[in-house]
Amino acid sequence: MSVQLVAAAVLGVVGLAFSLSGAVGILRMPDLYTRIQCSGKTATMGALPALLAIVVGAGWSTTYADRALLVAFLVVLLNPTSAHALARAAYKVGVPQSPRAVSAARGPLPQDDAEGGEGGPQ
Amino acid sequence: MRELALWAAVGELLVSVPLLVRLARGPSVCDRVIAVNTWSLQVTLALLFFSFWAQRTIYLDVAIWSASFSYLGTLVWARLLERELL
Repeated sequence: MSVQLVAAAVLGVVGLAFSLSGAVGILRMPDLYTRIQCSGKTATMGALPALLAIVVGAGWSTTYADRALLVAFLVVLLNPTSAHALARAAYKVGVPQSPRAVSAARGPLPQDDAEGGEGGPQ
Repeated sequence: MRELALWAAVGELLVSVPLLVRLARGPSVCDRVIAVNTWSLQVTLALLFFSFWAQRTIYLDVAIWSASFSYLGTLVWARLLERELL
């Protein structure tokens, strides 16, 4: 039980937990835009600790650590870009928001019954 | 350490089960694209852990290929949905 092993195990467990929560969020969220947000959480908090676990576990100056850091750089660079492009395309195509969502274009929810049966503001 | 990497790879693959459910029943194309994107990221992590378990560095290149080209595929899908492809 070295410090290296414990650190790698903790980082791997954190990455797996956030990946699982993001995947459940993608399954359970009501519309596309919240699912894209969950996908971003999966990449940022799920993938980066797992890649750091590889770096810590395999050692700093190994091939595995180099490739893991390269994948981390790619994820940090490309995941917000692709998420933004996909959300923009979905908005332009006209993928509907959830009727429970609050946006500036549609106005806030009514104050008296937020979960009301009228279906929200028009 | 190596057994830990194998369990991490299996865990990352088990995480992708809800993503496959969302891929099967996504209402729009964008839901399926975002599920495939996240799933390919999980597969990339599983490949990295698996390469450390197997001590074969050739799988690392496969993982880098998967990571870069999955995001490229998402960008191409977004461009196709937003306007014409070319």
